[in-house]
Amino acid sequence: MANDAQTLSSAQVVWNGLFKENPIFGLMLGMCPTLAVTTTLQAALTMGGCVIFVLICSNLMISAMRRQLKPHLRILMFTLTIAVFVTIADQFLKAYQPEMSEYLGAYIPLIIVNCLIICRAEACASKQGLRISVIDGLAMGVGFTLSLSLLAGIREILASGKLLGMTVLPLAEDGGWFVPWAGMGFPVGAFVTLGLLLGLVVHLTRKAKG
Amino acid sequence: MANSIRLFVRESWLLIVSSFLFGLLLAVTDAAWSPRIVQNELNKFNKLAAALFGKEGTTFEPIEGISLNSSKGQPIPVDVRKAMLNGQCIGWAFMAEGSGFAGPIRLVVAADAGFEKILGFGTLVCNETPGFGDKIKIRGGFYEKQYQGAPVGPFALTKAGDPAAIDSTIVAITGATVTSDAVVAIFNRYAVAIQTQMKAKGLLSHGQ
Repeated sequence: MANDAQTLSSAQVVWNGLFKENPIFGLMLGMCPTLAVTTTLQAALTMGGCVIFVLICSNLMISAMRRQLKPHLRILMFTLTIAVFVTIADQFLKAYQPEMSEYLGAYIPLIIVNCLIICRAEACASKQGLRISVIDGLAMGVGFTLSLSLLAGIREILASGKLLGMTVLPLAEDGGWFVPWAGMGFPVGAFVTLGLLLGLVVHLTRKAKG
Repeated sequence: MANSIRLFVRESWLLIVSSFLFGLLLAVTDAAWSPRIVQNELNKFNKLAAALFGKEGTTFEPIEGISLNSSKGQPIPVDVRKAMLNGQCIGWAFMAEGSGFAGPIRLVVAADAGFEKILGFGTLVCNETPGFGDKIKIRGGFYEKQYQGAPVGPFALTKAGDPAAIDSTIVAITGATVTSDAVVAIFNRYAVAIQTQMKAKGLLSHGQ
């Protein structure tokens, strides 16, 4: 994993977050929400938005206090910082998106124990300056959100023929040809789609390396 | 002693200061958003309760002074509301809470105007296992339907029985006995106690 005491350019950090060290397809971190909340694109985008907020804020705070961090209190400080911003994100959803908050249920509070957030705090924010830490949080968060959205988009279309409420594949029951794959709405659909996408990513990466 | 305090402060000042500042941040956030969150919960309560009565235009009037005793003997206020339609009391709705398999379960329970029969329940908060415990959320589903028309507790849970029989015996959801038991426990804790207090206050005779 990069960023350990390295001098990175902003472009490298963005590239790492979005592609090279993509949280889901590269590092395979944060797999719980990846499998659990990708039944619809809206849920995936909401989860992604919360993760971006928490990553940016926690990276910013941890980077700002990195010189005062005692080694034995490091993880405690990371967890405390992350928990605060996750609580704020959770409260925000409860206030302004109550239905989505209910739909996502325990998965929003569970961002506290998402390996991705604590990994970025340890690997990047506690070693880099404010600018790089914020860019890293944003890039990793966007990389995570894009991957979730890809998975959710595929599952939602195949499970219901719709995406964000709009018909994408004409349903057989409405005179079209598509019969929804009910399994895509269940956990098995998440595992199968993730496995196939990971296989595709590995194949393309190997091909690109020649 | 002084050295110990100095060491403690030197080692943990960042944690103490951060905890204080983060606490302040959370307090500000909570103060700003909690009225909205409470309103959202109230809207959900009204929506769920209205659906339980199944009559459009049902309004709810809060009833004060109903409480349960906590394990420490202190009274815990219970949110009880009178369901009104065209100036007539058509029943009662109350909020009830207990511990499930995966955290708290909060229910809205509806009873008839005499508080003799349960009309059903809806879930306000439920994080039970998907596919198992979360079946309690299904309005008119196998589990919830057993309460519709059942006498106001106490209920007993059984693993085998006839779920179609409307009585005080509730058949558990297969694979979700803890959740099923939690709902029964919530009913047993709240329903009879509320009924007794409302009778004592003369609310039921006025309601009818």
